[in-house]
Formats: sequence, C-alpha cells, structure tokens
Amino acid sequence: MSALLSNLSLGFSVAFTLPNLGLCFLGCLVGTLIGVLPGIGPIATITMLLPVTFGLPPVGALIMLAGIYYGAQYGGSTTAILVNIPGEVTSVVTTIDGHQMARQGRAGAALGIAALGSFFAGCVATVIIAGLAVPLTRVALLFGPAEYAALMTAGLAFAVVLARGSILKSIAMVLLGLLLSTVGQDLETGADRMTFGVASLSDGIDFAVLAMGLFGFAEVMRNLTVDQARDVVHGKIGRLLPTRGELKQSALPVVRGTLLGAVLGILPGNGAVLGPFASYALEKKLARDPRRFGRGAIEGVAGPESANNAGAQTSFIPLLTLGIPPNAVMALMVGAMTIHGIVPGPLVMTRNASLFWGVIASMWIGNLMLLVINLPLIGAWVRLLKVPYRLLYPTIVIVCCVGIYSVNNLPEDVLATSVVALLGYAGSRLGFESAPLLLGFVLGRLLEENLRRALAISRGDLAIFIHRPVSAWLLLTGLIVLVVAVVPAIRTRREQVFVEE
Amino acid sequence: MARIRVQAPQDLVAGASLVAVALFALWAAGPLDSGRMGAPGPGLLPRFLALMVGGAGLALVGVSLARPGESLGRWPVRGPALIALSVVTFALTIRVPGLVVAGPAAMLVAGAASPETRWKELAIFSFAVTAVCTALFRSLLHLPIPILVIPGWVTL
Repeated sequence: MSALLSNLSLGFSVAFTLPNLGLCFLGCLVGTLIGVLPGIGPIATITMLLPVTFGLPPVGALIMLAGIYYGAQYGGSTTAILVNIPGEVTSVVTTIDGHQMARQGRAGAALGIAALGSFFAGCVATVIIAGLAVPLTRVALLFGPAEYAALMTAGLAFAVVLARGSILKSIAMVLLGLLLSTVGQDLETGADRMTFGVASLSDGIDFAVLAMGLFGFAEVMRNLTVDQARDVVHGKIGRLLPTRGELKQSALPVVRGTLLGAVLGILPGNGAVLGPFASYALEKKLARDPRRFGRGAIEGVAGPESANNAGAQTSFIPLLTLGIPPNAVMALMVGAMTIHGIVPGPLVMTRNASLFWGVIASMWIGNLMLLVINLPLIGAWVRLLKVPYRLLYPTIVIVCCVGIYSVNNLPEDVLATSVVALLGYAGSRLGFESAPLLLGFVLGRLLEENLRRALAISRGDLAIFIHRPVSAWLLLTGLIVLVVAVVPAIRTRREQVFVEE
Repeated sequence: MARIRVQAPQDLVAGASLVAVALFALWAAGPLDSGRMGAPGPGLLPRFLALMVGGAGLALVGVSLARPGESLGRWPVRGPALIALSVVTFALTIRVPGLVVAGPAAMLVAGAASPETRWKELAIFSFAVTAVCTALFRSLLHLPIPILVIPGWVTL
C-alpha cells in the first residue's frame, strides 16, 4: 500500500510539471474535439499526431496521446446525446436514451451525468491500473515465449468474439491481419517475404498507412453513403447538474458500468468497445421497468458512459505490464514508445518508473480537466456540431493527408493509403470489420517472434504450448471463448447485446 | 437434383474474395522456404496463414449456400472513388508545388463526392483550412511540409 502511494506520488510529481500539464490539457482538448466530430476517431488522430510527438520527451508524448484517447470518450457522448449520431464507436448506445433525454429537454442532465460518470470511472480506473500494475508485471516477468504466444492467441480469440458482426468474418480478418504482418523482411533469416522487390516493403507494411487508410479515409467513404442529416437538438440544454433524484438513480449504474468497463477493457482484444453495450444490457435487465429504456432512462446514459471511459483507460494495462497492445490505439502507443527507445513490457515499470507512473497519474489529472472542458464549455462544442458535414469531410480528408505525409515525408505513403482506403471500403461493404484486422496486424510480428522462439526452445515440438501450464490455460481460455461464441444459444444473446434496438 | 441456390450473396462474394487473397498470398510466398517445425523458415507462417484465410473463405462460401443472409446491397462508387482521387491529388502535388496547391485541390476534388457541396463556399473554405494547416503543422508543430515549391524559384 505504501509502495503504491509512493509510486503514485512519484507519478504526480512528474505529471504536475508545467509542460506535462500543458500536454495533458492539449491531449484532452484534441480528444474531446475529435470525439465530438463524427467521422474522425482516436486512431486516425493519433496516427496523424505521431510525427509531432517525435520532438517531445517520451513522458509528455504518451501523456498527450493517452489524453486524446480517453478524451474522445467524453466528446463522443456529447454528439450522441445532442445529435443522435455516435461521435465514437463507444458512444453508440448513448444515442438511444441520451438523445431521448435531450428531446425531452433534459440534454443538460444527460451531458452532466455522462461527464460525471466518466469522471468517476476515470478515477476508479486510474486506481485499478496503479494497483494491478505491480502484481501483473511480476507475472509478466515469469512469461516465456510460449506464454506470450499463448496470451496473444487468446487475445485474438477475444478480439474475434468481441467484434461486431459475423464471427467467421472476424476470424478471417484477424488471420488476414496476421498475414499482412508477415510481409517484409523475415526476422531471423532476413529474407524478403512477399515484397515483390519493392524496397519500402522490406520494413513491412507501414502501420500508419494501414491505420489511416482503414480508419481515416475509409471512414469518410462509408459516412458519405449514409445520410448525414443532423438532428441537432434545438433550444435550451437545460441545467447541467443532474437533480438529486437523477443522481441517486444513476449512482449504482455508474458503479456497475465502471467495473464492467474496467474488466472488459483489460482483456486483450479491444474489450473497451464491448463495455458500453454490456453495461446497457445489464442496466436494462436490472431495471424495475425495462420499458423506460429507449425513452430517456438516465441509467442508459450513466452506465455505458462510465463503462467506455473505464475501458479506455484499463486497456493501457496489457500494454504497460505485458507489452501487448490490446487495440489499435495502444499499438500506436507502442510506436510512440519505441521511437524514444522504450520497449513496452514488464521492464518499463522499473527502467522508466517516472514515465510509467507519470502517465498513470496524468490520467487522473486529465479526467479532472475533461470535466471542465466538457461541462462549462459545452456551448463551444455545440456550436462546432453545427458545422455541416459537407464542409467537415473535405477538412478531415486534407488533415489526414497532411498527417500521413508527415509520418515519413513520403508522397508514396499517401498514395498507398488511398489504395488501403478503397480496399477497406470494399471490405466494409462485404461485412468485414477493420478493427480485428488491425489487431491481428499489430500482434502479428510479436506473435511470430515468440512462436518461433518457443519452437526453437522445444526443438519443434508443438507440445510446449500444452506442457507449460500457464500457456495451456491461456490457450484453453481462448478456445472456450471461441467455442462458446459459436454455440447458437449464446450467439443470439451476443447479437442482442450488440443490436439493442 | 436440387439446385444449389445462393442464399447470402454478400457472404459468397466475401468468401470468394478471401480465397482470392489466399491464392495470391500463396503465390507470393511461393519461393520462400518453409523449413521444419524445429527450424521454421520464413515461409512457414505466411503459408499457414494464407491457407487459414483461404479456409475461412471457403467456409463463408459454404455458409452463403446454406443459410439465408444479406444481399450485396448498394455499392456507391462515385463518392469513395472521388475521395481516393482527392488523396491521390494531394500525393501528386504535395512535393511540387506544395500545400498551397495540394490543400485546396484535394479539398475541391473531395467536395465533388457529395451532392450537397456548394462550390463557392467550399473554395473559400478550402483556402482557409489550408492556411490553418500551414500555421498549425508548419509554424506551430514544425513539421517539414512543403508549403510552396516552384523549382528554381521558390522553396517555402
């Protein structure tokens, strides 16, 4: 306990320096901005800002990038409530009851409870990260290549189950992502693999190109085909502070949402996205009168909004302790770390203690800042929402272009991104999701490296993955998760969680 | 003999595309050595993954024949193609003559993707955005983006 306190005080001493406070604020501000704007999310934004962080000290860079990620969770709810369009994937469920509340003239209360719930979730998640970091890191140090490979495989299994849509298609996307990650020089022999003699492919497919194509441009292409008519709530937002009765109604959903979101967020495989859906389903089930849901039930805002923020933060845990990015945003964090010579993994906590705890402490500070950015300044964001999409999307295109060009200062990257975007768009028309593909790609190299190391140790005997207990358990968990997802009874339940009206 | 009917056209095309991708990858990985289990070569994993992707594709094709599913739906081409063209425009003009041209040009091409675009408004707006981008990325963030380059004349 005292170790935890001393660690946290080290963290706060790092985070409370002027430049880091500034970067934290900047990250939260940018995060809220892109959260509010539909059509651009944290993946494209962080890819775009990666070159900017090259010049920053590593702590500052990570503090800012983290702020963008959890800041986007706050911003996303504003759009969901006021416009009935999710600003981010994680605020999809908020549109259901949040927008109904807004139509009944209770927009202020919805926004207020979303921000307060997120703040509570952020505080709890910060403590959870701090508390779990040390024991998990100790576990991670016992991990050999076989365990790492097994853990990543289990993570990919989770990713398949947690993805929306067809399970078979998700599996295919994870496999395709893994396959794409094998393009480039072989780690051991140095042989060029599937590069067709293109020199720039020797380093592998650029993650930034893939991420920006699939989540920046392809997103714009997809949005063009849906009707972007804005249903901005007119008239007053009303008082932002929820009444005592509303607070009482929301208290337990916030706590439950936080815990649910935090647990799902830790899962490797982007559990953070599932959190709000699960929380909504849970609140509806627990409610005395489930019919209120969909008609402006405040619990339907409080729970999911807490869950998405908790999940966004706890998804840092696998990265910081095991060095395994559980989603694409965390993979970009890996990029930001390795540029500064920091290898993500269990050693970060001891070798870069001030960075580790500084980033964690900054999350709490950032959540406090976000409360201010989102509640008193809500008027500014509402005005931003009135910018029509016909002007917004060319702006997103151009800013993404500048961003992807800046990563390597290569026009070829920009060209490649346009190809990826078209493929991503075609994929989405066929019902393929981009998220599992990107995760497979992210984990691919790490997985292959550990797989081959494990096989080298066992002299080619695959049984090593079963003989080592931890690895066996992890693989079994992954298998069970997959099997369970395919069993019809549970599959319909899973679909219900995602559909929810 | 019962005729086989396609019940889920979307899944059929999706599965067939995966099979195509897998075949392409197998061909591309052709010259790579697979090695043995004890000493895996560079080709082992790509080949294994390609086979798995192909397998998933075949399974999807199978499902599409057995279970009713979604139709192919609409495939709007104009919008996405123009967005891609806009990105290509940017790529071709960013080095020479630089962002001053690349920015507005890319935005105007992108604007053609939506029927709602008002050209005069977008033209003015595109120059404003380019100015903001210049200030933000070049002046404030010090990224080496070419602003205006006319060979032998100006390099900004």
